[in-house]
Amino acid sequence: MPFRLLKFGLEKEYSEPRMFRSPAELRDSYDVVIIGGGAHGLAAAHYLAAEHGIHDVAVLEQRYIGHGGTGRNTAIIRSNYLTEEGARFYQFSVDLYRDLARSLDFNLFYSERGHFTLAHTPASLRTQRWRAEVNKHLGIDSEVVGPEFIKKKIPEIDLNCGGHQPPIVGALFHPPGAIARHDAVAWAYARGADQGGAEIHQRTTVSDIEVVDGRVAGVHTDRGFIKTRKVISAVAGWTTSIQRMVGLRTPLVVHPLQAMVTEPFKPWLDAIVVSASLHTYVSQSSRGELVTGASLDPYELISMRSTLDFAEGLAGHMLDLFPFLGDVKVLRQWAGLCDMTPDFSPIMGTTPIEGFYIDAGWGTWGFKASPVCGYTMAHTVATGEDHPLIRAFNVSRFGAFDLVGEKGAASVGH
Amino acid sequence: MKQRLAAQPGEWIDRTQELEFRFEGETYKGYAGDVIASALWANGVQMTGRSFKYHRPRGIYSLAGHDANAMFSDGTHTHLRGDSLPLVAGMDLRAVNTFGGLKGDKLNWVELFSRFMPVGFYYKVFHRPAWLFPFHEKQIRKIAGLGEINPALPSTTSPKDYAWCDVLVVGGGAAGLEAALAAGRTGARVLLIEQQARLGGSLAWQHGRDEEAQRAYGTLVEAVLALEAVEVRCATMVGGHYADHWVALFDADRMSKVRAGAVVYAPGAIEQPAVFGHNDLPGVMLGSAAQRLVRLYATKPCERMVLLAANSQAYGVALDMLEAGVEVAAIADLRPDGEPSVLGEEVAAAGVPIHCGHAVYEAVAKGDKSGLRGAVVAPLRDDGEIESSRGQLIACDGIAVSVGWMPNAALLSQAGVKFAYEQTLQQLAPVSKPDGIFVAGRARGTYDLDAQRIDGRDQGAAAAYYTGREDKQISPRVESCKTAHSHPYPIFAHSGKKNFVDFDEDLHLTDFVNAHQEGYDSVELLKRYSTVGMGPSQGKLANMNAMRILAKLNGDTIDETGSTTSRPFYQPVPLGHLAGRRFHPMRQTPMHAWHAAHDAEFYHAGDWYRPEYYRRANTHRDECIFQEAQQVRTGLGVIDVGTLGKLLINGPDAVELLERLYTGRFKKRAVGRYRYAVALDESGVVIEDGVIARLAEDRFYVTATSSGVGAFYREMLRWAAIWGLDVTLSNATGQLAALNLAGPHSREALTALTDIDLSPEAFPYLGVREGEVAGVRALVMRVGFVGELGYEVHVPAWQGAHVWQSIFAAGEPWGVRAFGVEAQRLLRLEKGHLIVGHDTDALTHPYEAGLAGAIGKNKPFFVGQRSLQIYRKRETKRVLVGVRWPDGFKGGLPEECHLIIKDGRMVGRITSIAPVSTLGYALGMAFVEPDMAEPGTRIEVRLDDGAMSVAEVAALPFYDRDDERQGL
Amino acid sequence: MKILHCPINGPRPIQEFSFGGAVRPMPDPQQVDDEAWADYVFNRDGEQGIQREWWYHIASNTWFIAERNITSDQFIRTYLWNGEEAS
Repeated sequence: MPFRLLKFGLEKEYSEPRMFRSPAELRDSYDVVIIGGGAHGLAAAHYLAAEHGIHDVAVLEQRYIGHGGTGRNTAIIRSNYLTEEGARFYQFSVDLYRDLARSLDFNLFYSERGHFTLAHTPASLRTQRWRAEVNKHLGIDSEVVGPEFIKKKIPEIDLNCGGHQPPIVGALFHPPGAIARHDAVAWAYARGADQGGAEIHQRTTVSDIEVVDGRVAGVHTDRGFIKTRKVISAVAGWTTSIQRMVGLRTPLVVHPLQAMVTEPFKPWLDAIVVSASLHTYVSQSSRGELVTGASLDPYELISMRSTLDFAEGLAGHMLDLFPFLGDVKVLRQWAGLCDMTPDFSPIMGTTPIEGFYIDAGWGTWGFKASPVCGYTMAHTVATGEDHPLIRAFNVSRFGAFDLVGEKGAASVGH
Repeated sequence: MKQRLAAQPGEWIDRTQELEFRFEGETYKGYAGDVIASALWANGVQMTGRSFKYHRPRGIYSLAGHDANAMFSDGTHTHLRGDSLPLVAGMDLRAVNTFGGLKGDKLNWVELFSRFMPVGFYYKVFHRPAWLFPFHEKQIRKIAGLGEINPALPSTTSPKDYAWCDVLVVGGGAAGLEAALAAGRTGARVLLIEQQARLGGSLAWQHGRDEEAQRAYGTLVEAVLALEAVEVRCATMVGGHYADHWVALFDADRMSKVRAGAVVYAPGAIEQPAVFGHNDLPGVMLGSAAQRLVRLYATKPCERMVLLAANSQAYGVALDMLEAGVEVAAIADLRPDGEPSVLGEEVAAAGVPIHCGHAVYEAVAKGDKSGLRGAVVAPLRDDGEIESSRGQLIACDGIAVSVGWMPNAALLSQAGVKFAYEQTLQQLAPVSKPDGIFVAGRARGTYDLDAQRIDGRDQGAAAAYYTGREDKQISPRVESCKTAHSHPYPIFAHSGKKNFVDFDEDLHLTDFVNAHQEGYDSVELLKRYSTVGMGPSQGKLANMNAMRILAKLNGDTIDETGSTTSRPFYQPVPLGHLAGRRFHPMRQTPMHAWHAAHDAEFYHAGDWYRPEYYRRANTHRDECIFQEAQQVRTGLGVIDVGTLGKLLINGPDAVELLERLYTGRFKKRAVGRYRYAVALDESGVVIEDGVIARLAEDRFYVTATSSGVGAFYREMLRWAAIWGLDVTLSNATGQLAALNLAGPHSREALTALTDIDLSPEAFPYLGVREGEVAGVRALVMRVGFVGELGYEVHVPAWQGAHVWQSIFAAGEPWGVRAFGVEAQRLLRLEKGHLIVGHDTDALTHPYEAGLAGAIGKNKPFFVGQRSLQIYRKRETKRVLVGVRWPDGFKGGLPEECHLIIKDGRMVGRITSIAPVSTLGYALGMAFVEPDMAEPGTRIEVRLDDGAMSVAEVAALPFYDRDDERQGL
Repeated sequence: MKILHCPINGPRPIQEFSFGGAVRPMPDPQQVDDEAWADYVFNRDGEQGIQREWWYHIASNTWFIAERNITSDQFIRTYLWNGEEAS
């Protein structure tokens, strides 16, 4: 029972402390500078302290923590990926997530709901089976299920999509699939990082990174210059600006990804539903809103603007799956930035620039990886070597034509 | 209807149409023209709902579409907005989010524990112990959420449509009406949108005592309706403003998408609440709500009213109330000097006690909390807080709040208008606008009616000029108002912490102080942590005060504080309206009717319907497919391959284009011959295959995959442009029908139908001929995809059905049978032919797929060639091989994409499989590691249940190793 | 939706177009080393600001170049590959 609540009720003055300090001064040097105050950057700061005893860390965030992808995603967490490298990586994240609320002492509303990737064609079902087999091989709970099973778990779904689409022939079912409160992950890691000694500097913009003889020497910000030998870039959709500062070339292209949310309703949908053919996904948050999204915007754009086409197309597909939702009202739509890679796998770890570590290429698959990113990036920075889980994601893989092909497992986005 | 007043001039209700309706089980009467909430109010029903978190009794507040506490369900539909939906006879409504009815709501005790539930409390608890979280979440989900979704609601389609105009005017108040007239009179096409049921804006309810204003109202409306250039849409909302003035309109039935040349926004201002103790009780409302009740719906807001004032509008409210027979017990004016205008004198002269420098400390509920019995009025201290110890209770059953306004800025922000806080006005005002956007009236701080009208005229004319209709440009004459109509901080502490800032989310002042204390001290973090503005009214009554509170806590200005990004939609819009008819075109081949008549089982192959197989009585699907395949091997079969991509590539540089786009060599291909061709992307991955047939020196006919031809054709065009090649490229996929006649008797069957010499010498395998088939101009190729003697016939689409039928007639002697895609898959698998995108994936390069033979040697260039050089230097990681099971194998067989396991590692996967083949054994194709590629190698495939299916690698093809059959 | 000016067909809604990515001149494949070739195949610039890119008008099969600010989404000009500029 929440005894914490008793404290709130009985104390005269609200005694809750700040989640994280807001230091007025930016010091002139830190051991590690993390660019990007989203869940990834904050998690890295946290694990640097918690796992490696590295406390002299600054997190530089251009706006407010979680401003980027962290606060804009549709908060789906799963590990049912296609490649061995990907599945292992995301499973590690899921394992961290399941204990995260306890270890950070913050309710993340981490809710295991079961995740369905619906297949409407034999080709899609094949891909789901491929994923299921790889998952099972690695001990991840996934299986291919038929239409009857889907209907049993989601009685309201229209398997025939009203005749507007090819009917649902099966799905990849992943029971551990979960949703969470995305902002809370940033806040909890922020507190963890802060308690570990990291300084979180919001409204601080990086204008350049000093590289001398092929290694990082410092970071120029709009609040002054910071000497440092280790920089983590964890800025997702803003990476193309940062990479230029150090002369790093990557395949990244940035597209907006839009989402929308309805008014809140009493609970009716437990599962997380994704249609691989309709490029549509929906879940019902604990607040009762339907959180829903579709595929990536079709052209490159580093802007978080919304379009009507997106809302129209997605609304149509929502009604294909759940025809009774016609009266349900959409409250708002928004967008985030997706830094896309050609193989739909991230770009992580060391780079040709000594001391510059990259955490990017998060496309439409970044939020679920927040814990494992923080964990592995912290390890990489602390030891100077890519953590085994992320070796395959090194930026050098493109030069080696060694792509890690996840296109069949990213829910939507292509 | 005990609260009804005598007829009000210009009232919106129609007293000749009485409507009966039910609310919470009781029956009431209202009039046509009522909104649900006004009809309820007229019957004395003030409590319309229970609040989201604390389940406190609530009523209407704005009566302007922002009241999330007046949301109802009628059993079929939910989230019906009481303050904006017209009353309809027979409505049977209940408040949402109550447990056991509105009055007896079983959760009405929750607020007793409110002190245990400060802002964000749910982040601090519920996660320990972890095993209890699912239970907690379940309870939270039950309590959160408002209405219940009805899964039985039938699917309806709402028709979307389009509209175009030169000038879109948003808002039918004084400024908007003038803007529409000004623009329309230049000849510009104008579309005027008004959210309320009728035009007028505040003219309809705020200027009731001003006869001149009422005359102007009538004249303006008449003029607008008479002007042909102006189309008026009432009861229509602008939901969102998108790039290039693409605007989404929503009414009860549909969404309209408008392309406007310019937009004049005159959406007015939204009156804002004051924050004081129990300011959420039924009976507390905005001054404008009280005026709307009186003027529009002829309903008395209360018997005895206390007014909280900080502007001249408040005094107009007081006078309106007096006229309606409401006793105005007192005015508490936040301003130490009260109201300077003549209105102040009028109110004083009417005998209303005016307490300057005073505030309402708290509203006092009557016993059952369904309404008020009084207001505690107290003086303000120098520090801006209330001296509650000197408060006096004034009996009243209504409190009207008139302390300030916020520009109705949501759409303006979406359109790109930037705002800054004007100190004189104590309000946000536009400071920059993108091209083509114009703002008029109260939304930009113009409060005087005459000034609003002039402003509307100027902005309307400017908009018309912008769209090129008007010769001279108008410089707007009106500046924003110089007096404040808003109090800078109408927010007061209250010991009971029941002073609400956000009525949707049940947030009171201390919640903000606490959130700020915890470090959620920027406007975005504050919003996300507290959820202010995230409820159904989207912050229209909460965000301004939240900004003021945060600014004060941080010691910042309003501009430094900033606001959260305004996003579509202005108010919530139904999914059905957004979705419209949901138009999903599918493609059919010209033979579709024949297939349907012959029991084809269709499946969706991308955009196309294709026959998977043909059903036969008492025959299982797998058996049908087997029989169709068997018929091809032994007799004669025909398949419709019309979905195949077909490209015509002509011109002097045609062969050069093909040389560069495909891996193979085509320069020396003879006329009348074709060659199998593979295309790669720049990274060397196989993306397309097909045949390239040379019809003449500079004429080629190229096939491609059904699903890839569109994209591939595009890329062809691009490369041709980049390389400056002299070619003509046509995508003839839809213009040509195609069928494949296959089997040992295909020559015999086709001979009778064609003038082409089909003898093996005249028309060998890999040949292509043009001639007539069934009297139709045709292109014929001798293909070998299924491994039998066969002819692929391509004819103009409109003649496809005829040719198909002719071939069937001709093939009868040999028992010709149609075969579908599944049979074709089986047959090609027996011949070891891969299918791009099925056997290959997004990373397969030619060396992995056994396609090295398709790569031309010594070619100067082809797309992907350089990347292949890199692959050649490295180890190939996997290869595509044939796999087979023993004859008569009775064990479990895998599905496609089951994995091949060796020493506990994933070493490959099945890409294609045919459990039953014409060869009498199960066979397929698979990726394996290169050291397992030797025919005869034993492989183990893991099935669903974990059991292993043992097979062996086999050389390809399985069938007719010497390729004799297709060469007959 | 947004309007894009096709050099042949004039202003059309952006749904009528397909995006073809940034214009990237191909280096001579036989003159570059593997690293430079991989850079051409995979790497992109994608920085904030103006980008020169390929667009395709689907209905008329027209490929053309657009100069667009990929941060503000403003089209600066459009023109055929080796033709004149439209607006």
